[in-house]
Amino acid sequence: MALRPIEFHILLALAADERHGYSILQEVAELTDGDLTIEPGTLYRALHRMLKDGWVVESARRPAADLDDERRRYYRLTPLGRRVATAEADRLWRLLAVARQHRLLTRA
Amino acid sequence: MTPDRRLAWWLVWAYPPRFRRDVGLGLVDALEDRMRARRAAGAPAAIIWLRASVDTLRNASAEWIDCTRDAVKGVRDNDRRGRPSGHPNRGRTMIDKLRQDIKYAIRTWTRRPAFALVAILTLAIGIGANTAMFSVVNAVLLRPLPYAHADRLVTIWGLATGPQALSGNPHMLVAYQEYREIARQSSSFDAVAMWFSQSVNLTGVSEPQRLIGSFVTGSFFDVLNLRAERGRLFAEADSAPGTVKPYVVISHDLWQQRFEGKDAAVGATMTLNGVPLTIVGVLAPVFDVRTVPSEGWFVGYDVYIPAAQFPARNLDTVSMLSVGRLKESATMATAQADLEVIARRLQTLFPQTNTNRTIIAESAHESIIGQSRTALFLLLGAVGAVLLIACLNVSNLLLARAIDRQREIALRAALGASRLAVTRQLIVEAGLLAVVSTTAGLLIGRWALDALTMLPRPQGVPIPQQIALDTTVLLFTIGTAIVVALVCGLAPAVRTSRPDLSRVLQAGFRRGSATGSRTRDILAAVEVALSVTLVAICGLLVQSLLAVQRAPLGFDPSNVFTLEFRLPQAKYRTPEEIARFFQQAIERVRAVPGVQSAALVRAVPFSGNWGNTRYTVEGRTPPAKGSEPQTRYHIVTPDAFRTLRIPLLRGRDFTDRDDLSARHVAIVNETLARTAFPGEDAIGRHLTSPDAGPEPLTIIGIVGDTKHLSSTEPPQPQLYVPHYQFPLIFASLVARTSGPPMNVSNDVRRAIWSVDKDQPMWKMRPLDELVAASQGQPLFLATLLAVFAGIALLLAGVGIYGVMSYAVAQRTHEIGIRLALGASGQRVLGEVVARAARLTGIAMFTGLVLAVAAGRFVAAVLFGVRPSDPSTLAGAAALLAIVSLAACYLPARRASRVDPVVALAEE
Repeated sequence: MALRPIEFHILLALAADERHGYSILQEVAELTDGDLTIEPGTLYRALHRMLKDGWVVESARRPAADLDDERRRYYRLTPLGRRVATAEADRLWRLLAVARQHRLLTRA
Repeated sequence: MTPDRRLAWWLVWAYPPRFRRDVGLGLVDALEDRMRARRAAGAPAAIIWLRASVDTLRNASAEWIDCTRDAVKGVRDNDRRGRPSGHPNRGRTMIDKLRQDIKYAIRTWTRRPAFALVAILTLAIGIGANTAMFSVVNAVLLRPLPYAHADRLVTIWGLATGPQALSGNPHMLVAYQEYREIARQSSSFDAVAMWFSQSVNLTGVSEPQRLIGSFVTGSFFDVLNLRAERGRLFAEADSAPGTVKPYVVISHDLWQQRFEGKDAAVGATMTLNGVPLTIVGVLAPVFDVRTVPSEGWFVGYDVYIPAAQFPARNLDTVSMLSVGRLKESATMATAQADLEVIARRLQTLFPQTNTNRTIIAESAHESIIGQSRTALFLLLGAVGAVLLIACLNVSNLLLARAIDRQREIALRAALGASRLAVTRQLIVEAGLLAVVSTTAGLLIGRWALDALTMLPRPQGVPIPQQIALDTTVLLFTIGTAIVVALVCGLAPAVRTSRPDLSRVLQAGFRRGSATGSRTRDILAAVEVALSVTLVAICGLLVQSLLAVQRAPLGFDPSNVFTLEFRLPQAKYRTPEEIARFFQQAIERVRAVPGVQSAALVRAVPFSGNWGNTRYTVEGRTPPAKGSEPQTRYHIVTPDAFRTLRIPLLRGRDFTDRDDLSARHVAIVNETLARTAFPGEDAIGRHLTSPDAGPEPLTIIGIVGDTKHLSSTEPPQPQLYVPHYQFPLIFASLVARTSGPPMNVSNDVRRAIWSVDKDQPMWKMRPLDELVAASQGQPLFLATLLAVFAGIALLLAGVGIYGVMSYAVAQRTHEIGIRLALGASGQRVLGEVVARAARLTGIAMFTGLVLAVAAGRFVAAVLFGVRPSDPSTLAGAAALLAIVSLAACYLPARRASRVDPVVALAEE
């Protein structure tokens, strides 16, 4: 089943590193060259649902002290979340393969 | 804390509690970060905050919807599995508790369906009745008239100020000459208009037809802001006296019926009252006439004819209804002051007619609905009282149950549970009751409205044919529901919010606690008091209705057939022609089988038609011009008194020889004879009246007093003159029949058509129906009040029964001991009855005081009975006493027959 775009974006943003909410937003903006601006409320609704479903958890670990802002809550992927992200990436890959077959891709 | 962060905190509060707990802090941070970033990018603060708020509004509401859906799903899952779902994060949030309370309430209802059904049904009927009644009040009293600038529309009336003014009809029509001065001189009005509706004969078509026309000045359309949907309307210059513009504007409905909505209608000719008139336009419909009270105001007629066409020799002295639109800057007070100045000028201009006469303005809304205000508010008050009684009953039932549960709660409280649990449960149950019964009540209200509008609409209570349940009504009903929930839940909630733990627990688990019995007694007493009030007022209305029906009319309305017609002036130009037609028509009608006698009268009693005139007594110094005494003025043919069975007390009736060539004669009624000739014989004396020409009238007879407009009017002086000496194109036929009056209607019409085949006739009705219709309002009020009082009585009975049987049940143990120790059953029975009697006595006294207070308000709709009528009040009290004794009889008997062995073994 397809994920909602915002969910996939959150999973992608958390794939490399654990992040706090606002840095997820920044990452998404960077990844899409600023095309997609997600509002905090929208982000946290999705995040809340993903927390309940066990895709992400609040992280107990903190980054290096000089980078840390102690109020912040950091989130990271769970193994389940990683599997969901992989499944979605696979699904998208298959779609891209079809698109390439039909010469719908402008990039290599 | 930065303002951004503070705002973020506030915004996050909008989310559901669970969400806030899980990710609230993170969201606050993110919101703040986003606002800071935007600020750094140079966006103005307002935009930043607006975007944050919009984001919150959208997502918080979506989150609430999701979490409610989850909660509902959770309930369903639980029910299916019969155990709580093992959700790890499941907490005792408000929603969970609420859900539990609702589930508890529904479970109690399904366990005791009779209680739930009775409670919901009583409340639903109460709410339904209130919704229906308020819809009527809303449609009639609260909604502005459906015209542009409705708040600035006023009606203008003449008012007699002299000592000789006739009582009963204080508002008088305005004469055209007065209208002209008002329109010319008043600075308070944007526009003033005259209008008067009258039957007009449509001829030149296959079957002569009677239309209802309105003779209007051109300014009429301007005052009411009316426009033409085809063609044009006529102007003030087209309607002024002296101009004979053969124009007519037709209504939308007539256009559809007669011309099938074709454009060719404009320019076509209609022969109205024998005059060919050109249709200049079609009036655009203003509103659906069925949705407004009393469609007889301003619009709703078939044709609009320039006032100059009004059938009268001199338009200046014709009186019509007058309406004006105030200037935006003017108030009623300035308009009134303005009119008084004009009235004084009119007195010098027209001393003949305007001495002792002033001009007044009244809001148009008041003119149309003012008379029905008392009746409608009385009904609204009555249904309100019924609903209150129903609420108190339900409150009492809830309280009884709460007290039963109190021991359990006290125990739980002692063990550390929340004391508020029961209170909350009660409030939720009352709220749920209110919601369910309001839903049912809206349906009942809808049906009640349909039923109400199907009833014959009483005169004097203008109820629209179609009443919509609009937003105002829905808001009222929602408000009612809130009040219902409060009243139902308040007493029980207050009573149980602070249970006295030690007392409740000391009382043990016996059914012996008397907690709350005082509250329950008070609730029942209030019910009884309100019922006494309602029953007493109902009694007053019934007495009033009886008084109206018993009031002597002075004539015999049974077996009298009546119809109205008017002769076209163009065809019957001279008095001789009119008199000849009438004489022939009467003769033919008398020959109809089944007709015993027949006569023509200018105005049939109780038809709403009437006329007044002034008179002076010959041989006395005449009073100042304009201050002559007034009298009702009737024009009748011979045999009118015999046909209507009005007793001829002295002298003789008119004969066919009292015609145009004979000297003028008159007949007076007892009151006029007494007022004009106190202590003297009126027969042979002479009167003059401006309406009967300069020649004096010789009085030839005295007849009994009759009621003419309503059964409740005081005796009025009445002057009768013979139709053949004063022929009038308007006439009504009255015919006494040997069988049912309507049987002769076809033959009578054929008889008149045999004289003139073009003559339309209308309002064919039996006279007793006219009389009954005039008594419609007292009948309507008394019937509805009787229904409400009946419901109130029933509910009060149920209330007392509930209180008493509960008290007996609580004391079963004690009664058992006393009986075992030798007390007699009689004595126990006496004690229970005495308690009920004490309760009822106090309540009855309060109720009677309330009834007397309310009676002063009701006085406006009463006739022939004082609001504090002792026998009515005593009757109401006696009725309530019987009901309350009957209601406590069963519990009392149960108490006296308690089996001590069973009662003591019950523990």
